[in-house]
Amino acid sequence: MAMAALRREGRRFATPLISPNPATVFRSSIIPSEEPVLSGVRCISTQVVRNRMKSVKNIQKITKAMKMVAASKLRAIQTRAENSRGLWQPFTALLGDTPSIDVKKNVIVTISADKGLCGGINSTSVKISRAMHKLNSGPDKENKYVVLGEKAKAQLVRDSKKDIELVMTELQKNPLNYTQRSLVAGVKWVMVSVMADDILKNVEFDALRIVYNKFQSVVSFLPTVSTVLSPEVVEREAESGGKLGDLDLYEIEGAETKGEVLQNLTEFQFSCMMYNAVLENATSEQGARMSAMDSSSRNAGDMLDRLTLTYNRTRQASITTELIEIISGASALEG
Amino acid sequence: MTLNLSVLTPNRIVWDSEVEEIVLSTNSGQIGILPNHAPIATAVDIGILRIRLNDQWLTMALMGGFARIGNNEITVLVNDAEKGSDINPQEAQQTLEIAEANVKKAEGRRQKIEANLALRRARTRVEASNPIS
Repeated sequence: MAMAALRREGRRFATPLISPNPATVFRSSIIPSEEPVLSGVRCISTQVVRNRMKSVKNIQKITKAMKMVAASKLRAIQTRAENSRGLWQPFTALLGDTPSIDVKKNVIVTISADKGLCGGINSTSVKISRAMHKLNSGPDKENKYVVLGEKAKAQLVRDSKKDIELVMTELQKNPLNYTQRSLVAGVKWVMVSVMADDILKNVEFDALRIVYNKFQSVVSFLPTVSTVLSPEVVEREAESGGKLGDLDLYEIEGAETKGEVLQNLTEFQFSCMMYNAVLENATSEQGARMSAMDSSSRNAGDMLDRLTLTYNRTRQASITTELIEIISGASALEG
Repeated sequence: MTLNLSVLTPNRIVWDSEVEEIVLSTNSGQIGILPNHAPIATAVDIGILRIRLNDQWLTMALMGGFARIGNNEITVLVNDAEKGSDINPQEAQQTLEIAEANVKKAEGRRQKIEANLALRRARTRVEASNPIS
């Protein structure tokens, strides 16, 4: 009874391999005697499990390696991200961060990674950007996207292609840097200030909203929106004593007009914010990838355990059947 | 009253501590700042920042940006900054020579403007690295 059950189990493992090609099964069961077929089936079943185990082991190796790579990249980029945090705080103190401001031309700068396999950070950016889009839409209002990174592009092109103004990809192929001064021979840096200039030149805006994942720890990333206002809006708000009333307390010096200074100031603010946002997002990406790869290597380990158990059980079963067959054969001869 | 100075660049924090006096080169000329200065926001040119600390003058090369002064807090936000003592004078001199050559070679409006900016940056670094000036 138990033997029959075990045999059934052996066959069950074999079926997926055999069923797509019934002709071979037929032939192999006709030509040799019945005994080799059964053991053959058992062999195939262990073979299948063994192959599966091998591939799972390989996948585990790959995910482990990816985790290591992400971890080492994370350490390098985390310090840079932390260093870049110093600058946006004084800007926020001076110009304020006013996500609730109501303006006509909104530009949403979505920052995402170029590669996948890093948890949900890319779809989070996209989701928040869509929410911002919906939040600020209305009659006589304009909403545009500026997309950084391959992944957000792929997701946003699908449903809001007409709103995408500018796409920049392959940010992380070269190390990120703010200015070109630390250009080392042979190493190409991505200059965020140049990138920001590109956006400012090519896109008309009243408010730029930068959407990115702020790095908090290796396992937690905060989707964040930073708002940068255009110089005209800043001036208007400061004079009307609205949200930026504090700015009027300062005497503005250094150029012919106040507008000129504000223009430079907002441009500088935007490039600094961008730099920080891009770095934070890159750090989050590495962190997310690290934890995603960690959990997938753990899952691969669990799977391997289960497969090993099945493999050993089938192997044991085939040995047991063979033993019983030999013993019963021998006892038949004796008796 | 003490004066707090912080010099920030996108890459790092260059200076963050108390000072006695600073001289800042703005777009409309140099301004000296002592404690209890009136609040101003100003554009900062490519030029030298002089810092007085314990009656000694330190120099720093600033690569353009903004400064906000108020409430005895000075926040200087610049594209890049380097302490004079961190600059290698020979290297700075070489860069200046290269920049001078580039200005002569430059053709077209854009290139000329860029070469001139590079020259000013190089000149500032040489000045900052020179402790006597």
